[in-house]
Amino acid sequence: MRSGGDNRGRLLLISLIVTALFLITLDLRGVQVITGLRSGSQSALSPVQSVAANIFRPVGNFFSDVTQLGRTRGEIERLQAANEKLRKELIDRGNADAELEQLKSVLDLAGTAKYKVVNAKVISLGSTSSFTQTITIDAGTNNGVRQNMTVITGLGLVGVVKISYPNSALVQLATDPSFKVGARVAGSQQIGILSGQGTNKAVLQLLDNQTTLKVGDVILARGSVNNRPFVPGVPIGQVTTVDNAAGAVTQTADVKLYVNFSTVSVVAVVVSAPKEDPRDALVPKAPVPMPVPTVTIYAQPSETLTP
Amino acid sequence: MFARRFFLSFPIFAFVYILQESVVSQFKIFGGGFSLFLIFALLWSALGTPEMGALTGFGAGILMDLSQSASGPMGQWTLIMIVAGFTVSYLGYGDDNFRGNPFSLILTIAAGVAITRLIYLILGLFLGGEAGSAWSIFTSLLSSAFWSAALVPLLLPVVTRLHEALFDVKSRI
Repeated sequence: MRSGGDNRGRLLLISLIVTALFLITLDLRGVQVITGLRSGSQSALSPVQSVAANIFRPVGNFFSDVTQLGRTRGEIERLQAANEKLRKELIDRGNADAELEQLKSVLDLAGTAKYKVVNAKVISLGSTSSFTQTITIDAGTNNGVRQNMTVITGLGLVGVVKISYPNSALVQLATDPSFKVGARVAGSQQIGILSGQGTNKAVLQLLDNQTTLKVGDVILARGSVNNRPFVPGVPIGQVTTVDNAAGAVTQTADVKLYVNFSTVSVVAVVVSAPKEDPRDALVPKAPVPMPVPTVTIYAQPSETLTP
Repeated sequence: MFARRFFLSFPIFAFVYILQESVVSQFKIFGGGFSLFLIFALLWSALGTPEMGALTGFGAGILMDLSQSASGPMGQWTLIMIVAGFTVSYLGYGDDNFRGNPFSLILTIAAGVAITRLIYLILGLFLGGEAGSAWSIFTSLLSSAFWSAALVPLLLPVVTRLHEALFDVKSRI
């Protein structure tokens, strides 16, 4: 190991650290050049991401499908040669069907609430190296998508547009640790603040300590002024556990988010919402138990005829 | 000569960066996945001198700050990567037992990735960021160390050859 650096090395290290601190200061002071650099790099990368999304998403599904076949290697190779083209088409079709299903679902939700939406495909998942949870979508300012617009799927709230570029936009997911949304409980109309936790569960903190929550309560977005960043009434999730700690100033609860963020491929950005609040109209319907028909047969011994 | 070699390595870093942002980001992998670029940058730093490591960290940090998924201010990754690049190269500089042993390199990079991310998180908290639940942080750091340990052996032959070709230093393992 080296015992120490020479003066040149130290000078270089100090210069680089000072440069980095200078960059941080500039960015925190809101210098536009720095913001422009990030925006420019994203604008340059988004076409590459779109191409990569088209190529690698089906390929990834294809390989996972093959590994799950559970057959012997020889059989797989023989069948693969015969069916490769067909399978690829089938997977592509499967992808298209799944996207169509998500699209139909999101249009149903948007139609019920009379939201005007722009549909978009997810072209990239943000790296979690910085402990953020983001996705990039293929719609941007050219499509009417602006910063601080609500992003939804058919199941509910996905997140909010953080940055909008000409042909793409960065969406902060509801699971992001810095994500916060004003929420209300469907039915009782209690209000609180829901915060992302980096997992599929978020934490709801009620503002009023006189009210009570219960497991199964549905949480909806409360909405913001001029519907930005959040339109009202979008389903967020369902209460799974309630923290009733004695002496707590406010009541908190764990909320399981409705959206499965690992399978989101099509989303909708709400570009405008109606003036009237949809209130609880978007609360997901509880599953109706299907009656199982039962048939009861009574067997009675037949009367034997005596001669 | 020093600066020329540094700038010659830029296209390689740009390629890995584009690969990370456009291809690796398409896959949802267990534990939040991995940052190929971070692993590559630390590995590249570990093979050079401490000065080169700091300079490599600076360049890599700038690119990481430009990433859309970077939550902190521009310069946060740069600052941390300068220190990380310098540290990983300083650890093994002049010690052939360390640099000649792939296991020590794998261990250093795996630990380096997790520690670098942890410092990023702590610095982010100082700058007003949010951290999320302790469990998600723990699993994320642990899985990034795991993925790094799994990927470094695959990257090592390629990176050492590239490094040797560019810097004319016998660093191949």
